[in-house]
Amino acid sequence: MIGIAKSMARTFQVFLRGPVTRNYPDYHKPIPETDRAFPLLLWDTEIDEPFCTGCHACERACPVECMTVLMKDNPNHKSLDGTSSRRKIIDKFWIDYARCMRCNICVEVCNFDAIAMNNTWEGHETSVYDRKDLVMDLQQLLSQSRDGNINEWVPVLGQTNEEINEKPEATDESKSSEG
Amino acid sequence: MVEIVTQSNVSAGDFETQDLLLNVGPQHPSTHGVFRMVMTVDGELVKDVIPYIGYLHRGAEKLCETMDFRQGIGFMDRTEYLAAFNAELSYVMAVEALADLEVPERAQWIRMILIELNRLSSHFMFMGAFGVDTGVFGTPFIYAWRERETLIDLFEEVSGDRMMYAYFRPGGVAWDVPVNFVERVNEVLQSAEQGISDFDSLLTENEIFVARTHGVGAISAERAIALGMSGPSLRASGVDMDIRRDQPYLKYDQLDWDVVTGEYGDVFDRYYCRLLEMRESVKIIRQCLDHLKAGPILPEKMPRMLRTPPGEVYVRTEAPRGEYGVYMVSRGGNRPHRLKVRSSCLSNLQALTELTVGQYVADAIIILGSIDIVLSEVDR
Amino acid sequence: MSVELFGLSFNPWADAAIRLQIIVGFMTVVVMGLIYAERKILARFHQRIGPQRTGPKGTLQSVADAVKLVGKEDLRPAAADPWTFELAPYFVFIPIFLGFVIVPWVQGWNVRILELGILYFVAISSISIVGWLMAGWGSDNRYAIIGALRAAAQGISYELPLVLALLSAAMIAGSFQLDRIVEFQDTVPILVWQPLGFFIFFVAALAELNRTPFDIPVGESEIVGGPFVEYSGIRWSMFFLAEYAGMLIMAFVGSSVFLGGYAWPFGEELGLPFQILISAAKGGLFIFLIFWVRASVPRLRIDQLMGYSWKVLLPFSFLQIMINGLVLVYDLPHVVLLVTGVALLGALFWVTDGIARRPLQPRRKLARVLAVQESEG
Repeated sequence: MIGIAKSMARTFQVFLRGPVTRNYPDYHKPIPETDRAFPLLLWDTEIDEPFCTGCHACERACPVECMTVLMKDNPNHKSLDGTSSRRKIIDKFWIDYARCMRCNICVEVCNFDAIAMNNTWEGHETSVYDRKDLVMDLQQLLSQSRDGNINEWVPVLGQTNEEINEKPEATDESKSSEG
Repeated sequence: MVEIVTQSNVSAGDFETQDLLLNVGPQHPSTHGVFRMVMTVDGELVKDVIPYIGYLHRGAEKLCETMDFRQGIGFMDRTEYLAAFNAELSYVMAVEALADLEVPERAQWIRMILIELNRLSSHFMFMGAFGVDTGVFGTPFIYAWRERETLIDLFEEVSGDRMMYAYFRPGGVAWDVPVNFVERVNEVLQSAEQGISDFDSLLTENEIFVARTHGVGAISAERAIALGMSGPSLRASGVDMDIRRDQPYLKYDQLDWDVVTGEYGDVFDRYYCRLLEMRESVKIIRQCLDHLKAGPILPEKMPRMLRTPPGEVYVRTEAPRGEYGVYMVSRGGNRPHRLKVRSSCLSNLQALTELTVGQYVADAIIILGSIDIVLSEVDR
Repeated sequence: MSVELFGLSFNPWADAAIRLQIIVGFMTVVVMGLIYAERKILARFHQRIGPQRTGPKGTLQSVADAVKLVGKEDLRPAAADPWTFELAPYFVFIPIFLGFVIVPWVQGWNVRILELGILYFVAISSISIVGWLMAGWGSDNRYAIIGALRAAAQGISYELPLVLALLSAAMIAGSFQLDRIVEFQDTVPILVWQPLGFFIFFVAALAELNRTPFDIPVGESEIVGGPFVEYSGIRWSMFFLAEYAGMLIMAFVGSSVFLGGYAWPFGEELGLPFQILISAAKGGLFIFLIFWVRASVPRLRIDQLMGYSWKVLLPFSFLQIMINGLVLVYDLPHVVLLVTGVALLGALFWVTDGIARRPLQPRRKLARVLAVQESEG
């Protein structure tokens, strides 16, 4: 009987502590920068075109083969009196969110920092009525970054906190050697 | 005139009684996933149990043979979704052993902290589910969920995902932990200690809980070993065996902690071992935090695509449910030629029939709960 | 012959029918409130928020549930026994509902004051066991039949301690009539003279209501709902209505018999609003206690449950009745009752602890069963 009394005392103590649950659709928990939802393509706002050159690196590295990439010659290249230094650029890009297992490998292998995992709530609240609608095309993949709704987080493998503090701009070299 | 019958000439054999076949699962609140057992019951007593597994088989091992070493990590997460860090650890340790990689200090300590935190979250999950199995309406489950939530929030901050971390890499960990990692771990540990004490007062001494679990589903040390049980389920029977101490990996040999063993191997011991083990885990993590120093987290000169020399290796680690082993054969190249996962849950589940036959139906449920199976690990 | 009601005179039968109608309406509303209260209070025990979307603070949750349940298809398994299956909810619900006849809500507010009120209540409420059995048998489901047999065994076993506990209280009060019992407790509630009786009543009431820790007939984690596993829609909701109505009635009978109903602590002369307040507070306390127990303790096993009734509660309630008899016959002071009651309660706790600590050996029992079968076959 003492044990039962103890249990009841503890449940009552917890009763007084108050709720810990969050009121989800009204309240969105702030999610950390590292959070990974589904991959997105990033938009180069300086030149106003995608970062992605359609190099197929992510497509080859994807363990579940959820990506399809097609490239084309960049009509905006400098040789054609354009402003871009990218000779090739992405033409079509599909990611099947239903297949993606969110392993972050595509972000790690990308040489142009053109792809990132969505770390906003929009990425988590992707619900559709039909599985076909989970196959995202280039426009859908780019729109969030173009509108500036994502604070992209592209991890550099093996970089420690100290290194980040020392040289904030050290990205491309270490990436290509260690990625 | 009423004739008083002093001796009945009707014996039990005159009635035609039938045993009842009771199908439990795959959809049943207490089978912890898609597990099915067909019980032959005589009234309330269980006479036979036939377990059926395989509802969650996805061929993870075979799939990994088509994946390079980095891609395989994500699949290992999915074989053990409640303790994914432990599953990843076995896999990357196997790759490291094959490729002869040296893991930097800091990465090892980060791994230690994360797998022990993962052990906590997994055991909390057990406490919750087991408490509900014994019949408390939801309270333990929600206590467990509360604590697991804080742990998972931390995992999310570190690895980016709440369950499928894909954070360990052959040679270390993928990226560094957040800057405020140590404070966050301390916060989480404080809340976890509160959760452990909540469970301790809610269940351990409760007379009804004790009556339900004492002496139920007991298994002797010899039988437990013979059936290949491991982890807390084995230690509850009094076998002093813990891979973390007997074959130290990472840095377990540098720390001060105890292996918890039970006495009778009954359901209560299996529960209590896990409870005490959680306290030990908290102790281990506190010590690890002191050792966490700045330094590299991946070896220098990591190749872009990791290839291993031919060879084979078996790596075993102490996952929350027991020995989680990875047997890996490589013929050179960037992917395993053969991969086999030694699942602790599958081996522990072998004991189910032996433990359950002769007990009550209600006991069968808590015995299954006390073994703490994760069906994705059983079926893989 | 006519009876006064609201200042009008009625034929007694019409009067009873009207009063019952009022009870029906009152009970439905209160049960809805109870369901809401249980969800909110349990949510708080679980550190959740509970219902909050339907209406202000979720107060219309029960209405939404009712609408949904009424709108649901009334399914019947193909192999079910139609008559037993369809009628079972009524057999569960009507006896519980008839129990409301004798409850003295406040002074003068009741359907009928019966001289043998307690006996009537006990007799009528045990009929609902038939309904549980019918539901289990008629559903053609193995979980349901196991649950139904558990319900029958448990209902019959705990009926006895319940009756005897009420009986011992009635002995002290000197009447079976509930308003007389309440009257008797003008200054001191019977709880003081019968602490053991109250404990036995509370435990047996939990068992009769199939509430934790005696919820083995519905055993959510074992037999997934027991007798009503195959029911849906309005029939299912009748089982739940019966459960909560039973809780309400048990709370008010308990507070009338042991806690002094509307009389204690301020006497009967108090105005109606105070009486309502006191009555509701006591009933509410009783119900909160039931919820609290539900959030805190695990479920017993069938053998422990039966054993606790027959081997522990029943002897103790007989002992209590014997002591009551001695006190009444020899005209001893009532303090004797208090002292022995507390002592016996302590003894009961001690015995309970002893049982809980002893490891049980069902394995041996099966070995015997199997040996018998082998020798015969």
